[in-house]
Formats: sequence, structure tokens, C-alpha cells
Amino acid sequence: MSSLIRLLLFFVAAQLATLCHLSAEEPVDFNRDVQPILASHCIECHGPDSAARKGDLRLDLGDGLGDDRGGYRILAPGQPEASELVARITHADPESRMPPPEFAKKTPLKQQEIETLRRWITEGGEYAPHWAYVHSRRPPLPKVSNESWPRNAIDNFILSRLEKSDIRPSFEADKATLIRRATLALTGLPPSIDEVDSFIADDSADAFEKVVDRLLSSPRCGLHMALAWLDAARYSDSSGYQADWERYQWPWRDWVVDAFNRNMPFDQFTVEQLAGDMLPNATIAQQIATGFNRNHRINDEGGSLDAEFEVEYVVDRVDTTATVWLGLSAGCARCHDHKYDPLSQKEFYGLYAYFNNVPEKGIDGRIGAAKPFVEISNERSVVELEKRKAHLTELEKTVEAGDGPETRGKVQIANLKKEIKWLERHTKGMAMIMQELPTRRPTYLLKRGDYQQPDKSEDIPPSLPVVFKRTSATENSPRDRLELAQWIVGPDNPLTARVTVNRLWQHHFGVGIVRTSEDFGTRGERPSHPELLDWLATEFTRVSWDLKAMHRLILTSATFRQASKVDVKIAALDPMNRLLARAPRMRLSGIAIRDQALSVAGLLSERQGGQSVKVYQPSGLWEELSFGSGKTTLDFYEQDHGENLYRRSLYTFWKRTVAPPQLSIFDGGGREACRVRSDTTNTPMQALNLQNDVTFIEAARHLAQRMIREGGQTLSSQITYGWRLALGRKPNTDELEVLIYAATKHRETYANSKKDALKLLSNGESSRDDSIPSHEHAALTVVALTLLNLDEAITLE
Amino acid sequence: MKPNPHIGPTSSSHKNIPPLDLGRRQFLLQSATGMGVAALSTIFPTKGFAANSDGLPGVPHFAPKAKRVIFLFQSGGPSQMDLFDPKPQMEEYFDQEIPDSVRMGQRITTMTSGQKRFPVAPSMFKFQQHGNSGQWLSELLPHTSTIADKICIVKSMVTQAINHDPAMTFFQTGSQISGRPSIGAWASYGLGKENEDLPAFVAMTSRGKGGVQPLADRLWGSGFLPTTHQGVKFRGSSDPVLYLNDPAGISRDVKREMLSNLGALNGKRLDAVGDPEIATRIAQYELAFRMQASVPALTDLTTESQYILELYGPDVTKPGSYASQCLLARRLIERGVRFVQLFHIGWDQHGNLPKDIRNQCHDTDQPSAALVNDLAARGLLDETLVVWGGEFGRTTYCQGELNRDKYGRDHHPRCFSVWMAGGGVKPGISYGKTDDFSYNIVENPVEVHDLHATMLHLLGIDHKRLTFRVQGRDHRLTDVHGRVVKELLA
Repeated sequence: MSSLIRLLLFFVAAQLATLCHLSAEEPVDFNRDVQPILASHCIECHGPDSAARKGDLRLDLGDGLGDDRGGYRILAPGQPEASELVARITHADPESRMPPPEFAKKTPLKQQEIETLRRWITEGGEYAPHWAYVHSRRPPLPKVSNESWPRNAIDNFILSRLEKSDIRPSFEADKATLIRRATLALTGLPPSIDEVDSFIADDSADAFEKVVDRLLSSPRCGLHMALAWLDAARYSDSSGYQADWERYQWPWRDWVVDAFNRNMPFDQFTVEQLAGDMLPNATIAQQIATGFNRNHRINDEGGSLDAEFEVEYVVDRVDTTATVWLGLSAGCARCHDHKYDPLSQKEFYGLYAYFNNVPEKGIDGRIGAAKPFVEISNERSVVELEKRKAHLTELEKTVEAGDGPETRGKVQIANLKKEIKWLERHTKGMAMIMQELPTRRPTYLLKRGDYQQPDKSEDIPPSLPVVFKRTSATENSPRDRLELAQWIVGPDNPLTARVTVNRLWQHHFGVGIVRTSEDFGTRGERPSHPELLDWLATEFTRVSWDLKAMHRLILTSATFRQASKVDVKIAALDPMNRLLARAPRMRLSGIAIRDQALSVAGLLSERQGGQSVKVYQPSGLWEELSFGSGKTTLDFYEQDHGENLYRRSLYTFWKRTVAPPQLSIFDGGGREACRVRSDTTNTPMQALNLQNDVTFIEAARHLAQRMIREGGQTLSSQITYGWRLALGRKPNTDELEVLIYAATKHRETYANSKKDALKLLSNGESSRDDSIPSHEHAALTVVALTLLNLDEAITLE
Repeated sequence: MKPNPHIGPTSSSHKNIPPLDLGRRQFLLQSATGMGVAALSTIFPTKGFAANSDGLPGVPHFAPKAKRVIFLFQSGGPSQMDLFDPKPQMEEYFDQEIPDSVRMGQRITTMTSGQKRFPVAPSMFKFQQHGNSGQWLSELLPHTSTIADKICIVKSMVTQAINHDPAMTFFQTGSQISGRPSIGAWASYGLGKENEDLPAFVAMTSRGKGGVQPLADRLWGSGFLPTTHQGVKFRGSSDPVLYLNDPAGISRDVKREMLSNLGALNGKRLDAVGDPEIATRIAQYELAFRMQASVPALTDLTTESQYILELYGPDVTKPGSYASQCLLARRLIERGVRFVQLFHIGWDQHGNLPKDIRNQCHDTDQPSAALVNDLAARGLLDETLVVWGGEFGRTTYCQGELNRDKYGRDHHPRCFSVWMAGGGVKPGISYGKTDDFSYNIVENPVEVHDLHATMLHLLGIDHKRLTFRVQGRDHRLTDVHGRVVKELLA
């Protein structure tokens, strides 16, 4: 089937399920029905961008459209025939018709859209402010026919929408699936077999709630929650740009994990990260928190100009802050008035001024941090360092004295010296922080966004865009970064709670209620369930920004607890599952895939905190792209050994110019800029990685070892054990048969080739239990690798 | 031309390997849900390698001149007045201050802004006219000189950035700020694949002997496009694609057995839960298995005739060398890879330029010319666009010590040269003119956006209509700029 037909079918199906089509009896809703038409066909030339505006006409605001413009009116309420707007979009002459030919060619105005505009004017032609800039009001719970289904408020909203389309929700997922889903969703690790069994055995009505509460209180939870925040905050262990030096910013990362684990209220979490340094008697921790806005890339390339990059850093802060808290794409307005959203270029520099007051340099960062920063002692490294130094002295004495075998001693000494060198480099973290200059640095509008073209005629003070001020009781802007942070989580800002709960929703359902979680502006997608979004936003502030409470609410809903099995008839109506008549089936992130493999293998180290670690990766990756000479601290990849190979992937060293390959193959992004939404692809590179990466081979042989030692006497019980470790549920007979057959066959193969068996078992640096016959261990290693490669194993079902 | 079926990886390259039975027949043709997988896949958009394999509907927008691109990126900034843009007039100014009327106070990097003097450093290399076209080329490029009639030299390139990182990012993605898709990713997104078994976009890096400047994987990244469009890096190591080789101790037979069982189990799951994503996953494992045979066959240059190996020069047998990658680029193109992007490091010659540029030309001149000649001999040049060039040029004035035969040059964004060949480009012409110092452009400037617009045009794409919406804005490779340079078209 040609892709065109496929695409058409998809759009037809999407249309059926689309959430904003009009029925004959329903009145036109400006935000739902009209605004998207104006946004995609009109606003580019008749919108906020004053430079691009044609015919002195703005259609993004309703002001003055009814005025007499010399014999005609743009919009005559109730009278589409008397409205120039309708006359122009239906004009017989294509040259006079709107949109003009060059736009119409690309995206013509559809007949149905013209009808909608006509009906809207007939019904009064009233404008409404963009939905996202209007304060959330707590909607009443919608009535539903199937009253026994909802478990909490979320379900009323989901079910009422489903019932509108005559769709029934799915049954509840079976318990093994449910606990695996919840455990991976909240901790990034799979449940143990015991946890699965005790949940299955627990018949109490709140058995699942108990599981969720246990998971929420686990320190694994904060660690897992931190991952998405690290992507948003473009956290990395290197500076980026060309030379890409190492940076010791991990104290900020540890602050984030700790804050999530302590369930710091999101308003405090926000204020401390945006302006912790400006709080009265700011603690070191509060200062470290402000690393959020120093995590951007920092350049040190020889020959580069300070002034150029000072601008880049401030722009990055505005962009990141606006995306993360306001769902606003501010970056466009750096060079010109925003084309679609109410943000003028001057207003962009008003936001810029809040972040333009740091005592920093454009070219910096070669010593592990760029000013300003604080140094943090890495207690563990210090202790380990002292231990090894003492050991070294002792050993050197022994070797000198000629006691013991000399060569072995020398090897030990060499190894110790290597470790000492490494530890010496990591006795401290250097957390970059925000600080304020004593006198405010002036901010000038940069023409075309170019640092070489400041408009020095006006020093722009820190100020909010007008669109936000209008919603405020007071007309005054926050005066500095601290006040800005307080405004962001204050009652005058309509966005933060919505944008944040939307990301939580995205975390659990794969897609946000607003699919474009980075963009709540006029060209972002409308929410699939606007009332639900508002309800959740008001709930979030009602519970005082308690993140764990929100997770709990979502997880314990009937919506979350549905099975994910696809019903073809419903899929035809709602191919993207936006109505949630079933739970989504989502591939795990690269991070969760690796952590899960290490966990089921029994290899995982759960030690939290400290400097990042260098895990297995194919040789030469850094060297190929770096100076290759040792010029920077990160020219050569020096892989770690021992426990560091098995830490959670949150701690995997992230070099910006060469992202960790396994994470990158699984859509890990680059940490170069703020990212709040990611793709999930399905590629042959992923298949190759899971089959051939030493990480997974080593995990497979340890999983096999567990199957043999802990899984009982029979092949069948051993395979069942491995299966359950990886998937939670028990295999059915068919499935078990496939793997018993496989194991038997592999056993024959490896019995005939002990050499291959031993080779397979020597993948990875950890040792193995030599008492297990090598052919048996190798055969089950292949079986275990099969388990780790199952679609189900890397998927949240 | 469709890729030649006889050299495609789906046929001869793994003819000795028994077909992979992943248990599909049994499980995939009809699932218990009563709906075939083929039907399911019409409802669900796929996310795989093969996703979007036909490209976007309506693209190409018009009949393309070029079906594929080989982009020979010369990283570091090759010196235009030592290679392509002869300036005999500079001789008279040896060691004299560059006239203010030429420099016009334009910004320079902090590597030379502290110099007390900006003395003119004429090129020590001789230029001659070549071929029927009479194109001027430096003695540093004896092999490129033999293709003078096949190439179009643009002498009036101009860029906005003055340092490597932003300039390279701009040259590859149309923006100095990181996060935008590279040009190869755009091509993959728009045009899709010709060969289902290989990525649409392949990137390779190599390095010369001097002036090393690092690269970043964002230069062949997919930015905000789905990651399926990012360049797959082919490497000079024994693992030509990451994780391609089976681990020690797993033979092909064991692997085939394992994948067969894996396919059976995945098939059962597909049957049970009906998620077509599982069908895609099964297909990707099959593709991965085929790649394990086809990619080594593809990267094995020993099957090339002696004549061809000699054409590309002695380095061709060194894995990871520029020469071997030029030859590999041809082999990829033959198999229908859409966009092959090479990066050769080493043109950043601040100190002893004459010595370093000789080395650099020694590594690149012969293979680049060989590639063009080889493509032409196979009848592939007409539909393959070859582009040679770096992120900026170099300064007229000397950086550091100045002698007749020893001088250095700093970065220069205001003019530089690139050449193009094949794929609908007018051969044997020079375009654009610089002043007597190769400092400013006096005729027909070509912005980086213009070059991109022209490249896309040759691929049959209207650069204004290849867009992707992010944060409410329809982004393009050329931002809001770009002019198709019609004068370069055949």
C-alpha cells in the first residue's frame, strides 16, 4: 500500500477521533474551533509580529474588528455577509482571496473551515483569550453512565469523553502486568518476583494503592523522576560546544534526586532552582539548586568572543525557563516579534533581563566549571583516596623489602596508582550557580538577535510580557529573578500548574493531555481533555504542589489500571489512543532498559550520588571526534571498572558531543538544549544494541546464573524463573516450550564447543560461578539474552 | 536509476546464509484479533527505520536532477587563496599591512585580534588553468585539476560564524544553535529511502595529520526530527556500525536460532495484545540480522578491482581513511543510500599552513577526484551530487610569523570556496568573485542558506516547502532565507 493512502487512512481515522470537530447542534467555541483556523491560515501576516503585519490588521486579538474601516467592517457580529473577513476568504478572484495564493497553495482554507468561520460570526463572532492564558477553574465532575467504573475524578473526565463516542474503556490489567507497569513507571526498575506474588495474593480492596505508596516512598522513585528533569534542564557532565571539557556539575544532579525523594513541593522546587541564591540566608543547597540555569552549554573554543556567548547563555536560560514552566516558545522572539504568540521582541528582552545579571564570562569552563561556582567535597572519594594511599605505601614497602612475589606487587602498585589518580580528580564537585551582580547589567534589544547590534537607546528592565500582566491583579512585573520565580508559582500565572501536570501525564501515558508538552501557545495542540487538564492543575495547587500525591492520583485511577490490549475497532477510531480506552503500550527508555537488565541480572549497584561513571562503550568513540591528543580532559575515554560499571544509568557519564551510544540509540537526545518530549522509535540499531552490546551479554550471563542457582532443578522451572524476573508474569505453555526447546538446542551446541561457551561467558568484566558447567551456563545465557530482547521486556504493557 | 538489484544487500551479499525464519508466517499473517498485520499497519503510523520509507507525500516537489548526495565536508576551514582563488596581486603586498579599505574593521577572532600587525601573506603555491574550461587550480590539487571540467567552483561562499563550532553547526544544520536537523536528516525525512535494508543517511569521519578540530555527533543528528533520520555512523573499525558484530561466543548459527525463537515469542505476543509496534520490532530484528551480513560485505573494499583501488590512492586500504571512505561512499550510493556525509578533520591551519596543507591535500586530493571520476565512469555522476567544502575560509593576513614559505591564517567567514559536481550542476564553471585579497566578495555572494536551498533544489525539493513543525513554527533547513542559485544549475 502506498504511503499516501496509508497516510490518508490515518488522517481519516484521526479525524473521526479528533477532539475538536463540530456537530450541528453544538455552538462554536472560539478556542476550540476558530482559533486554530486563524492560527494556521491568518496569524502569520495578521498577528503579533509587527514587522510582518499586513494591511494593519490583527486577527489574533478581537479589538477593533467591528470598527468602520471606511465603508466596511472586518467583522460584523451576527452578519457574515457584512463581514469583510468572510468576503475575502470567499472572494471569487484568487488574487483578492485570502489567504493569498502563495499560502493557499501550501495550506488552502478548507470549505469546512470557511463554514466554521461563517457560523462563528453568525453566532456573534466573539473572541476569547487563548485558553492557556486563562486561569484554570475547577470544573465540576462530568456525569457518566457507567457510574461504577470511575475510581477517582480523572476517570469521570476520561469516561465521559469515551461515552460521547460510544466507546467502552478496557478491563483492568491483570495484576502481574499492573505491578510491573507501576513499578517501572515510578522507579524505572521491574518488581521482584516476591513483590509480584504478594500483590497477587493480596485480596484487599486497596492492594494496589499499597503498592503505589510503597513505590512512591522508595528512594528509587526520586532517582527515576529526576531523569526527565535532567533532560529538561540539559544536564550534562561536559560543557559542550567544540572542545567539550569535563564539568563537575553532579552536585546539582544529586540535589534534584534528593529533592524528588523528599517530595519537595514543586513551588519550592521551582523557586530554589530559579533563584535559590537570592533567598534570605541562602544555604549551600539552595545555591546548588540554581545550577539549573547554569547547565547550558558553555564555550571555550580558542578565538571565540566573550560577548557573543554571554548572549547565548542568557538566551538559553530564557528559552529553557519559558519552555519548562510556561510551555512557551520564547526563542522565536529573540530576533523578531513572535509570529504566533503574544510575545514581542522587546518583551523577550524583558524576560532576558531577569537572567542577564550573572557575574560570568562568555568563554570559560576548562577547570570543571565556569564562574560562578561553589566547590563541594566528595566525601566518598576522599575516604577511598586515603584508603588507597595507605595501601600503596604499605605495598611499596613490601615490594622494596622483597617480601612476596615481585611482579604481582608491581602490577598492584600500578593499578593502585591509576585508581589514586582517578580519585584525586574526583575529590570535589564544582557546582555552577547563579549569582546577581551588585549593580544590574543593562539589557538592550539585540537587532535580529545579533550580539553585535544592541539597540543602546533603551535599557530594558526585567519585565513580564503584557499577556501575563493582564491576568494579574497588580500591573507590576516582578522586579528581579526571585520575584519572577515567585510569580511563576504564584496565583497570577495560569501556566505552571497546567504545564507541569501535563508532563506528569505524559510520563505515565506517553502523550500529554496537550500533546505538544513544550508548547502551550496558540500553535500548540489543544488539550485532548481540557477540563481534565484544568481539574488536575487546580488539584495540584490544592494539594500544595505535592508531586507524589499527583502521581498517586494518576496511578490509582481506573484509567491507568486498564489493560493495554489493542481493540482493533477502537484503534480504527482512535489510532493514537488519545481517548485512552486502553492503557498505552510504551517502549521503555534506553535508561530503563539498561537498568532493568542490570537489575534482573543481580548486577545493579543502587548506590546514589557522586560523580558520573564511565560504563562500557565501543572503543574509539570519543577519540574519533575529539582533539585526540589529550588536550582536554575528555579526549580519551577511560572506562571505569568494578561497581561503577553497574550503577544506575542516571549516573552514566554524559559527554555532549558524543552522547552515550546505547542511550542515544534509544532516543536519548543530546542534552544540548532543553527537551521535555522525546520520540520513541523502533529501529534495527536498537535490535543490534540489545543483542550485541557487552552490557546486555554480561547481564544475560548473570541472569542465566541466577536462573540456574535460584530457579530450581528443572529447565522448565529455571526458565520460568528467568521469565518472571524479566517480565513479572508467568510464561504460558507455548512460550515455555519455545524456550525449553531453545535451551536444549543451545546446550547441545555449546557441549560441542566448550571454547565458544567460555568465550561467551567471558563477556564483561565480572566473574562467574565456575561451578556451573560452561555449556549449561552458556546455553541459558542465550536464553536469558532472548528474554532481555523480547518486545515485552522493553515495553511497559 | 533504481539501485542495482545485483549489488543490493538483499541478494548476493548474503546468499550463503540460510533465510532467517523468525516464525512470522505462523504468527503474523493473521492475528487472533481477526485483522491482518498489513491492515493494522495502515491504521498505525510506524516508527521504525522503514517508517516514512517513501518519504513525505508530494516530495520530491518536482523532478530531481540528483537522487543522492555525497557531501565531502572539509572540517577546519580550507584556505581558499591557497587552493581555488588565486590572487597574484597579493604578491606586491607581501608583509605589508592589509589595507583598511579591505579590512573595513570587520570582526576577527581573539586568536589574532591582539596582533600588532595584520600583514598580507600571499600564497606560496602556483596556480594554473586546467581542462577545456580553463579553471584555475593550485599546484596543491594535481588530481582535482584533472576534473576541472567536471566541477563547478563557487568562490563567493559566505558564512555568519567565525569559530568552528557555530560555523560547522551552521554549515550542517542551517543554524548556529544546536538542536536543528542536519541536511542529511532533512533529505531522509523528505525523500525517504531507496533501500529498505540500509539507512537513508550515513555519516563517516576521518582525520588528517594537522590542525585537529573536534566534531560533534549533532552534525549528523536529526535535531527535532524523529531519530530515525539521524545519520548512521559507519566507522573504520572492525565494527563498521555500532554493535554490528555478534559477541564473542555467539556463532551465526546460535544467533539465528536465538532470533528465530525471539521472533516466535514476539509473534505470540503480537497475537495476544495486537500492538502493531511488535510487528515493526520483528521486522527490525530481521533487518538487523540482514545488516549483519550486508554491511560487512558493503564495507569490504577488497572486492574492488586493483584499478579502482589505485584510482583512490594508497590510503584506500587503511580502514577509516578519507580515501577508503570516498570509495565506501560510492558503494553506499550504488546501493541507494540517499545521503552520505564525510567529515575530514584537519584544515585548521593557524601556524605552518604550507606544511599542513600539503599533508591535508595529499590525503584528500586524489580520493576526491577519484570519486568524481569513478561515479562518472559508472554513469552515476549525473544523478549524484558531490559537494566539497568546509565551514569557512582563511585570512589574507598572517597569523604568527610570516615568511614566503611559512605562514599561518586565521578563520575567515567573509569569503571561501567550495566545489560541486554531478547531479544537475553546471560543470566547468567558476561562480562568484572576491576582491584582490580574497577578503571580501565583489560579485555574486552565496550564503550557506543559498547553498542548502540549491542542494535541496537539485534533489527535487523546494526548500520553502520542506518543513517540520516545532513549538508552533514550521521550521526549514533554510530558516526564512535561502535562494536557489540558478546560475549553478546545468
